[in-house]
Amino acid sequence: MGRTLPSATQVFLQEEAAFSRFRRALRRSDQLALDDLFGSARQHLAAAQYASHALPFEVFLLSMLLEEHKEVMHLRQLVEEQLSQKP
Amino acid sequence: MNTTLTGWLLDVYPNDVNLTLWLIGDDGERHCFVQDFTPRLYAAGHAARLRQLWQWLDAQPVPLCLERTRRKDVFKGQATVLSVGVLQPARLDELFRSMLVAFPDLTYYDADISIPLRHAAAFDVFPLAHCRLELCGTKVLGIKPLDTPWELELEPPPLRILSLEPDCDPAHGDPQQLIVSHGRVRYSLALHSRTALLVCLAAEMRRYDPDLLLTSWGDTWLLPYLAQACRESGLHLPLNRDESQAVLERKEHTYFSYGQIVYRGRQVQLRGRWHLDRHNAMLWNDYALDGVLEMARVTRQPVQDAARLSPGTGISSMQFVTALQKDILIPWHKQQAETPKTAIDLLQADMGGMVYQPTIGLHRDVGGIDFVSMYPGIMVRFNISPEVPRAGTGVLTGSGQGLEPAPGEPGIVPLTLAPLLNKRLALKSALQTLHRHDCRRPVYQSLSSAHKWLLVTCFGYLGYKNARFGRIESHEAVTAYGREALLRAKEAAEEMDYEILHMYVDGLWVQKTGCKSPADFEALLADITARTGLPISMDGIYRWVVFLPSRQNVRVPVPNRYFGVFQDGSVKVRGIEARRHDTAPFIAETQMRLLEILAQAPDADHLGEVLPLAKAFVYRQLKLLRGGRVPVEKLLISQKLSRELGEYSSPSPSARAVRQMQAAGKIVRPGQRVRFLFTLGKPGVRAWDVPQPPDPRSIDLKRYRILFERAVDTVLTPIQNSVSVGVDCECLYLFPPSVCSLPHRAGLLG
Repeated sequence: MGRTLPSATQVFLQEEAAFSRFRRALRRSDQLALDDLFGSARQHLAAAQYASHALPFEVFLLSMLLEEHKEVMHLRQLVEEQLSQKP
Repeated sequence: MNTTLTGWLLDVYPNDVNLTLWLIGDDGERHCFVQDFTPRLYAAGHAARLRQLWQWLDAQPVPLCLERTRRKDVFKGQATVLSVGVLQPARLDELFRSMLVAFPDLTYYDADISIPLRHAAAFDVFPLAHCRLELCGTKVLGIKPLDTPWELELEPPPLRILSLEPDCDPAHGDPQQLIVSHGRVRYSLALHSRTALLVCLAAEMRRYDPDLLLTSWGDTWLLPYLAQACRESGLHLPLNRDESQAVLERKEHTYFSYGQIVYRGRQVQLRGRWHLDRHNAMLWNDYALDGVLEMARVTRQPVQDAARLSPGTGISSMQFVTALQKDILIPWHKQQAETPKTAIDLLQADMGGMVYQPTIGLHRDVGGIDFVSMYPGIMVRFNISPEVPRAGTGVLTGSGQGLEPAPGEPGIVPLTLAPLLNKRLALKSALQTLHRHDCRRPVYQSLSSAHKWLLVTCFGYLGYKNARFGRIESHEAVTAYGREALLRAKEAAEEMDYEILHMYVDGLWVQKTGCKSPADFEALLADITARTGLPISMDGIYRWVVFLPSRQNVRVPVPNRYFGVFQDGSVKVRGIEARRHDTAPFIAETQMRLLEILAQAPDADHLGEVLPLAKAFVYRQLKLLRGGRVPVEKLLISQKLSRELGEYSSPSPSARAVRQMQAAGKIVRPGQRVRFLFTLGKPGVRAWDVPQPPDPRSIDLKRYRILFERAVDTVLTPIQNSVSVGVDCECLYLFPPSVCSLPHRAGLLG
């Protein structure tokens, strides 16, 4: 029992590791933000696996963007609710 | 003069001339018969080489019947083969070995199938089949099966079971007594007065004449001990019912399977009656004797083998029987290699089942729905078998493909699986309707779990490199159909406004406001079945379920770590400490009991009322632990030794424990479990299976406390968050559907 290709999770971990030098040179606060970005890409590993894209990092970038956009949508809604409550 | 006799088939094995058959007659007697039987093997190759083989075979001392014939190889089509019938079944192996040396270039078929399996296929019988024998004296002329392995209600054969059990684990202590029991009789014999022991046992064996010798540690210790006692004292113990045959011993071995190392102990098999060792039977804890007998019936392996072999061997035997009955050649070695693929093909095909990342946290009123035996169901329904051609490249890539069965006759795999799958479905639906206290319930449950293991392995075997009827493309096709079906189920649920909390290969966890009873989910189930063609069922509705994050990163969900309480109050846990084999029983029990206390709340809103009870319980348990009042056995950690001792670069606790056992003269092989305690000071562990009892004061209570608190936190943290902070799930990345309902927001924007 073995796989010929690495799974999406394995590819993800490899990609994340490939940026370890980049991460090391970042400020601590930026490091945390970067970790968060990778964390959000991790939410969509099942979809990334299913997509079986030849360039998986593109899918991870899109996953990060997706989570960012959800956050924007969420915040936008909160702001709109706040604004509409004001007299 | 010919006579007939009906009864249950107990044992079939080759003797020097033909086969020996044992039958438990309907009259209650145990009968021994002989039967002529000619197993066949086939050779294919160049006509000239086959002619030479024929001449060579003619010169052999083994009586044979040779024939040129045509047979079907499922991968290559009809082929001309030399059929070699061996009139003395016991000599087949020896003949084949010399054939291989003399003619290594030929292709051989049906060469390594065991004689009992061939007999089962030829007469359509199975262990404990109820059948009618046509007899001439002690010779069997014909066998007619009166039942099949596929019936739910099988008449139980009147088995006589003699149980032998030493008074303690021989790996741990030095047993003094042997407890003998059958029916209501129970007595013990002193193990050290050997002559008395052997004389009494021999008398019991003759008087009671058991069909089944059920032992504890019989394979690894008891029967070898008795055999040695016999040799030393010159006394005779009739372990075999057939005293013309020798007791069969097989050596221990270790192998690697599914990423795990597995240890199989020494085996001792009897002739004319069975010997089963509770501690050396596969999955005995899962399904006990009923399951072992069921395994033997459906796989048609002799009972003593069925108990000790893996489900993978079981599923292969079932395929062999199908092939033998359909006159399909069984290759001695698999000859199909994976066909070359492009990188893109590989990228799209080499995937497993779909596993989602669940929404972390506590969720209320969640429907757990499962495809019933998804992978075997796919193989049967869509006719997935290595020899059945599929459209296109032979690989279903998944995207945009339909869910259509492959055209043509059903292949070997679906033919083999269909009756097993149907029996499992029938058992499952029977279990749903049976009353909670119905006496058939535990039996059905062990049958069903025996089937489960066979069905689980049959999928793996499609992709196994040495499986005779395996092919990686079929394996990939199954997962592709599985992903397609799961995505269709997701789409069906989302179109009906359910929120998908989690998906795991063949199951979904869905939630929708107002959906609380099974009837609320019926429309969804019907829609999914209509879209996929596969049966789906309700695993249950959770009052609440908690999906846990990873230990390393609280924001990262883990697919298979969750616990929840169904509406009937039963608890389901996966991946948490209570389910792990290496958790100390005291900690596992505390965690389970904790969940049971939480399950007393009628719904998640009432968790606040039971939380103080749960905390009080934890406090009491902690006090027991700190006071040293927990029995030492309940603190034992059990771990598998994963490699040879010399291969460890920094020895794990289990390796350190094994070192102590070796010092005490006990050998542990990779794949065997070692039990140990965490202790103070170096080396930090104390092996359990060494003669001297451990000193209770040396136990590292602090370490146990850390493990205890971790297990308690796993359960209580999310509950605490829900009750006191009012946060059910941290939607860090995944929004509740109310927020991301797009049309509403578009309106706001406009």
